[in-house]
Amino acid sequence: MPSLADKYELLGCIQCGRCTAGCPVSLRTYLNVRKVVYDGLIGPAPKGAHERPEAWSCTTCATCTERCPKGVKPMELLIGLRGSSIERGKVSPTIRDALESTFKHGNPWGRGREKRTEWADELDVPVAGDGDAVPLLWYVGCTPAYDPRCQDVARALVRLYEAAGVGYSTLGAAESCCGNEVKRMGEEGLFELLVEGNREAFASHSIDAVVTSSPHCMNTLLNEYGGVADEVVHYSQYLAGLLDEGKLAFKGSVERKVTYHDPCFLGKHNAIFDEPRSVIERISGVEFEDLDRSRERALCCEGGGGRMWVEAEDERGERLADTRVKDAVELGADTLVTACPFCLLTLEDAVKTSGCEGKIEILDLAELAAMAL
Amino acid sequence: MNIVVCVKQVPDTAEADVRIASDGSGIEMEGLPLQINESDNYALEEALLIKEDRDGEVTVITLGPDSSEEVLRMCMAKGATEAVRLADPAFDGGDAWATANALAKAIGGMEYDLVLTGCMASDDGMTQVGVTLAEMLGVPHATYVTEMEIGDGAVTVGRELEGGLLEKLEIKLPAVVTIQTGINEPRYASIMGIAKAAKRDIDTKAASDLGLDTAEAGKAGSKTTLLGLDYPPAGEGAEILDGTPAEASTKLADVLKEKGFA
Amino acid sequence: MNDVLVLAEHLNGELKDVTFEMLAHARGVADASGTKVAAVLLGSGVGDLAERLAQQADEVLVRDHDGFAHYNSAVYQPVLADVIRGREPSVVMIGHTAFGVDLAPSLAVALDAPLASDVIDLAVEGSDLVGTRQTYGGKVNERVGFGGAAISLVTVRPAAFAPEEASRGGSVVALDTEVPDEPAFRRFVEYVEAAAGEVDITKSDVVIAIGRGIKEEENMPLITGLAELLGGVVACSRPVVDAGWLPKDRQVGSSGKTVKPKLYVAIGVSGQFQHVAGMKSAETIVAINKDPKAPIFQAAHYGIVGDLMKVVPALTEKITELRA
Ligand SMILES: Cc1cc2nc3c(=O)[nH]c(=O)nc-3n(C[C@H](O)[C@H](O)[C@H](O)COP(=O)(O)OP(=O)(O)OC[C@H]3O[C@@H](n4cnc5c(N)ncnc54)[C@H](O)[C@@H]3O)c2cc1C
Ligand code: SF4
Ligand code: SF4
Repeated sequence: MPSLADKYELLGCIQCGRCTAGCPVSLRTYLNVRKVVYDGLIGPAPKGAHERPEAWSCTTCATCTERCPKGVKPMELLIGLRGSSIERGKVSPTIRDALESTFKHGNPWGRGREKRTEWADELDVPVAGDGDAVPLLWYVGCTPAYDPRCQDVARALVRLYEAAGVGYSTLGAAESCCGNEVKRMGEEGLFELLVEGNREAFASHSIDAVVTSSPHCMNTLLNEYGGVADEVVHYSQYLAGLLDEGKLAFKGSVERKVTYHDPCFLGKHNAIFDEPRSVIERISGVEFEDLDRSRERALCCEGGGGRMWVEAEDERGERLADTRVKDAVELGADTLVTACPFCLLTLEDAVKTSGCEGKIEILDLAELAAMAL
Repeated sequence: MNIVVCVKQVPDTAEADVRIASDGSGIEMEGLPLQINESDNYALEEALLIKEDRDGEVTVITLGPDSSEEVLRMCMAKGATEAVRLADPAFDGGDAWATANALAKAIGGMEYDLVLTGCMASDDGMTQVGVTLAEMLGVPHATYVTEMEIGDGAVTVGRELEGGLLEKLEIKLPAVVTIQTGINEPRYASIMGIAKAAKRDIDTKAASDLGLDTAEAGKAGSKTTLLGLDYPPAGEGAEILDGTPAEASTKLADVLKEKGFA
Repeated sequence: MNDVLVLAEHLNGELKDVTFEMLAHARGVADASGTKVAAVLLGSGVGDLAERLAQQADEVLVRDHDGFAHYNSAVYQPVLADVIRGREPSVVMIGHTAFGVDLAPSLAVALDAPLASDVIDLAVEGSDLVGTRQTYGGKVNERVGFGGAAISLVTVRPAAFAPEEASRGGSVVALDTEVPDEPAFRRFVEYVEAAAGEVDITKSDVVIAIGRGIKEEENMPLITGLAELLGGVVACSRPVVDAGWLPKDRQVGSSGKTVKPKLYVAIGVSGQFQHVAGMKSAETIVAINKDPKAPIFQAAHYGIVGDLMKVVPALTEKITELRA
């Protein structure tokens, strides 16, 4: 076993603290990533995240790894610590249940596989038959398929595809979790299993392009699957393209003052900043203004990196999602739009916890766009 | 301290539309995810906790089809040291008696201080194997255990009775204890761990290895016979308030208002 | 066929409901086969219980002995085995309770007799006994035969049968079967009552119960909100306690509390009999569950088939509107 220091190239660390300085949760939680690196170097190295529970506070935004001047990989270290805990079975019941469910049912939400298409029961959503060629695959994702709130997003996307008259297909109940969060929870073995299964399913349909509902799915399919299709895009990119080509047009108008929250896995991780904004700006009636902390500097909502399944303990300060919602209200927006199921859920929850009920509505970009059809 | 844990693989039918197989011998298994029986998972965890505390071996044993090796591997990934599968077509169609009999033959030949089982199988709901096994092994037993403390040659257990009452008992070892859910928090088995366990040996035993005659095993060795399966008759049941969540809720709110609750 | 023998279960001087339920059903079985119903009562100072049983049974076999001051299967089992061998009943009915489950299988081994556990029906078909039991969480029923055994055992699900009033005036027969001393290998220590919590769910007119369908602790506020609105308390099924989301004293069911509120709303509870046992006598029962086949709909008066994450907020909103 390589030591933590070797595995994550900790030896280069000069303890400059840039990692912690850029970490969105350093003030919010007890995670001080520089300190974790230090302890990994000086030893005795922690055996896993069960000995450093703050490792579960990381949202895997990658800021630390990107900002490190010495090529140290602090985020990878934290994920590695989580992995060691997983190897030992020492994880919280919520994470255990999410992982077991992903293994058993192909989704982290504890729901049966056969219920994966239930959201589309009243709709006409094409499902690829055995071995059918699928030039354009819509990878729906677990959260849009199962979460009642996010199912509305999936349904809005169906309306948009139909309005644009595009030919697409889904994998239906054969679709399995992409594993983006699983990987970040440190369950590398399960991630590999999911990659293998999904690659096989994709290969059997000779897929040219994949559109995902979630930036998380897009991220892993695009960057961590080793090329599953010529093209993997998030739906915001796809919609922007359809609008550019004139295949999709907004006929209606939506009278709203809108601002936009950049999902980390769309923005910071994949530099997709313009397409979602271009979709919003094309809707007549919409008055759009960016938040102060936007694009590369956007505040994280804390929903990523497996945090959806981490029980919030040992926290301090205001939840970032609360801050985000308050910032949007202060800006004078009546609608905060995002383009990620986890952001949608965390922000919507934050409307309640920050006492902003009635002041602002959280919408997914797909929902806003469907309103303008 | 050597512990044997009896485990069973069961289908997860919580959300499933369960269909009776055309030959009437069981249910249609296709599409049903398989898992370790819930209370067995707690029994395994209890064994592992004891092992971590005072050393010894934890042997998991199952009587089941090939697929049930997955459950044994999962148990080994969590820390079980040995795994045994009783595998023989002769075991097919056995009732709780036949199952306990085969387990007793296998466990009787091992060195053990404690046998743990789940208190009930979630598929057939039998609630019998643990006690039957104890009686066949000629050792004391305790059922529905939610508290357990190992003492000197004995174990003090808390049995959960009706109404939340707890019955404390002291039983001498070796003994069979059937574990109720909630006694601990079962750990996670990583996929890597399961994959590693795949390389480890599972000791498979046929009826003849246990000195069991085919007439003593499976259906032939059962005391009860399965006469048939049916879907439960749809009773009167609830008046279903239909419509969208909003519509159904309006109807329910009206009912509650009428009854003076809203 | 020979007699139907019912094992009376009692605790703290009171007979359990399941005893009367078994006696009522035993009567039907005995009538169908032209035999009699006998009850067997083991206990210490249980004379009045014997009288009570004699109203229902043709014969009550009593063994009154200090050794039965508390239940211990290691003491009960050899005595019962003796009594049963002596009487040769065709079938012995034992409650499917913590007591029966501990006892019946070992008795079956001692008698080399078949046992069908947790039956919800027992019928005579021709000259054969047939038991019905539920499998797969109540989604499939199984019919079980006893292979023509001379003596068969069943454990009977509580509340599967309705008790019946009777004044039969059966005879009470005192037995003198030898009662062994409590063996060293299994010693009773004590009964421990669950500690009382801050909320007594048995005292509230309105109980809102959640089950595993709630999925995450974070969804709890949804339920607390509804409970507050209806002036009720939040209770739950066992898995919710196992997960540590609510304390044990909020658990409804056979190993939890029995409640009889005016309104019981079961949300994301499948309705396994252990749960239903604790709430079936509520005046009005409402079930909210995604699975139209969930057994809870059999116990409920009103049902909504739907996702609780959608239904509960909608319901909360409607009730708030009605209030306004
Ligand atoms: C000896 C013994 C004693 C026991 N004592 C008790 C007891 O006292 N009390 C008790 O409750 N249990 C008891 N049990 C456990 C019992 O057998 C069941 O396991 C338990 O009642 C099941 O709880 P549940 O209905 O919450 O969970 P499940 O059976 O898992 O049911 C969950 C339900 O939620 C529904 N659901 C899921 N998601 C949603 C959603 N989003 N919206 C709506 N519905 C949804 C599902 O359709 C399902 O019907 C006992 C068991 C034993 C062996
Ligand atoms: S930024 Fe890099 S070099 Fe600086 S403290 Fe963090 S890990 Fe060390
Ligand atoms: S990846 Fe984790 S530790 Fe690094 S900056 Fe982001 S939240 Fe902080």
